[in-house]
Amino acid sequence: MEASKARPLTLSGKSAGPNPMDQSHIIRSNTFRWALAVAGVFAVFVIVLFGFIYWQADQYLIARSDKMIGSQLNFIAGLPGERRLDAINDHLKQDSRGVQYAGLFSADGRKIAGNLERFPPDLQMNDSVQGISVERTLPAGKETHVIRAIARHMPNGDALVIGREVDETREISHVVAQALALGLLPALCLCLLAGAWLSMRAQKQVEEVNQRVQRIIGGDLRERLPHRDVDEPFSRLTVIVNGMLDEMEAMIHALAGVGNDIAHDLRTPLTRARLTLERGRTNATTLEQLQMVVDKAIANIDQSLAIITALLRLAEIENSRRSAAFGTVSLHEMLREVCDIYEPIAENKSIDLRVGVQQRLSVRGDRDLLFEAVANLVDNAIKFTPEGGRVDIDLIRGDDETIVRVSDTGPGINDKEREGVLRRFYRSDKIRSTPGVGLGLNLVAAIVKLHGFRLAIHPGPGGRLEVICPDHRSG
Amino acid sequence: MIPQNSASSTARGANALAAAGNEPMTKVLLIEDDSETAEEITAELADRGFEVEWSASGIEGLDKARSSRPDAMIVDRLLPGMDGLTVIEALRKDQVRTPVLVLSALGAVDDRVRGLRMGGDDYLTKPFALVELVARIEALLRRPAESPETTLRVGPLELDLIERTAKRGDRVIDLLPREFRLLEYMMQRSDQLLTRAMLLEEVWNYKFVPATNLVDVHMGRLRHKVDGPGESPMIHNVRGAGFILRTGP
Repeated sequence: MEASKARPLTLSGKSAGPNPMDQSHIIRSNTFRWALAVAGVFAVFVIVLFGFIYWQADQYLIARSDKMIGSQLNFIAGLPGERRLDAINDHLKQDSRGVQYAGLFSADGRKIAGNLERFPPDLQMNDSVQGISVERTLPAGKETHVIRAIARHMPNGDALVIGREVDETREISHVVAQALALGLLPALCLCLLAGAWLSMRAQKQVEEVNQRVQRIIGGDLRERLPHRDVDEPFSRLTVIVNGMLDEMEAMIHALAGVGNDIAHDLRTPLTRARLTLERGRTNATTLEQLQMVVDKAIANIDQSLAIITALLRLAEIENSRRSAAFGTVSLHEMLREVCDIYEPIAENKSIDLRVGVQQRLSVRGDRDLLFEAVANLVDNAIKFTPEGGRVDIDLIRGDDETIVRVSDTGPGINDKEREGVLRRFYRSDKIRSTPGVGLGLNLVAAIVKLHGFRLAIHPGPGGRLEVICPDHRSG
Repeated sequence: MIPQNSASSTARGANALAAAGNEPMTKVLLIEDDSETAEEITAELADRGFEVEWSASGIEGLDKARSSRPDAMIVDRLLPGMDGLTVIEALRKDQVRTPVLVLSALGAVDDRVRGLRMGGDDYLTKPFALVELVARIEALLRRPAESPETTLRVGPLELDLIERTAKRGDRVIDLLPREFRLLEYMMQRSDQLLTRAMLLEEVWNYKFVPATNLVDVHMGRLRHKVDGPGESPMIHNVRGAGFILRTGP
């Protein structure tokens, strides 16, 4: 029931239906969209790259053929007049692909040799290679071709034209198109497939996590997220979350234990109150008797309330982050004040209460809370020290630290309890059975922790507790 | 047992006396959303001679506080509609200086509560004893005025604040500084019930309840010095409630 209310954890608002991974889901998923975007960017990049290659190759080929026709012109022009005709004819004869053009025209524009019918009208006679269009008569009819050509005046007044059609460009564009078809399309398809697969996988993982989390919400605290032993972000995340769940499970169990303890502690005085009232109701015959019964009941209820108050206060201190209220606390003055307050109590028990201050020392902290901590330590020390004993409050300077030490001639705290006191929520049976609510040391530990100080409990005989305030707080 | 009865009648007597001094009737506004708690408080205060007005919500309470000008207010911190502290802040903005006692189930460690106390108001954590509530309301109503007097006098008791000396009649009382401080506080509030929690907070600046009965031990020593053998006792222990300093029996 709890789980069904906790909807926010299910995917996309819909609960885990029969097929949460339908197609629209995959297409809408972020992973898939990313794959799509990457594929698009990739395609644009490949097209631009191929375009660049094509353009570069084209440039290169034109430059090469320009150089070629230049050198041919030089060669033919360098021959003596009578051999030029043969050279032109040879040149054209060797051209099996029909890409070469040549022509020798007399000064009046008449054709002397070559495969050009007339001097190309666009061609400048300036010894530089130009792109022009020429007409060519073939058995099939006339064709217009775009060629590169160069022309020069011969010494005898003739005009020599050498040209070449750069048709390799067309071949290259063909190859490029083929390469695009062969490479780009499969790559794009692969991209989309990978995107779809990743998206599906991610959704499957999330769905699996969701189901486990629902079980955890449903109360199965031992459930953990699935994780494979591979080094990928999702796996690492599940390891982290599982670690957190372990911690929380341990804490919840600890709390449950504490809950039982508290319930027990509360039940004792409440039971007493109930019994007193019940008996009083039947047995009291006078107003005085009834009042006595009620007073007793109130005392027991007050004891239960005191336990609750102490627990709330502990929680309050543990949860507070009030370092903003920290100021300079002069410990020597504070210790004297604590001693002043507890002196009469110690005297009543014939306990010698003394303060030993070597020098004036201060720490940063919350004065009220530190006062409470030290007062609690002294209170405890006096309580556990037998009559005629002695309690010392000392302020000592250690290596880079200031120490407040409360020592007594009482029984001290044994090893087992020492650990327990510092653990959260712990109370020793011995402390619990003494008058007063035995949360004092837990409170001290919480206050000390809040300040970044340390609480050291030395083994007996004799109690010795130290609040160690390092000059440089760690953390 | 007899002492039980006589103790409670002493408490009644003391407060009846205090109430008699409050003429005309002191008006207290109670803003508390739990009707059962409100009923108990109203009945108790009425018994002590107060006139009590009750509002169950913050907004209604704020209206009443503005219109009927009570002498003191008791405000629950968690209220429907408007939070108790907000009600007080709104009143203070209007320059209404009525003393307020805030009731709360929340702890008293936060800074808003500190501000409250510094402003002369008081804060009481739930659950509380009714005597504690009444004692604090009376303390708020009878806050000692700043007086230029350097000598306090209650019956035969005389306290010189400059010389730091105490006398009962002609008998000089030798007091330790901490005892002097306690007696000074009590003489400023003579005929008034002072609870242990109030003494801890005000005299020793304690912000928490210690495990040991500190107040009783200190009070026992002071009483031993103030009420000598053969003299009529001035420091009275009100069982289950606190202490009163007064001349009468």
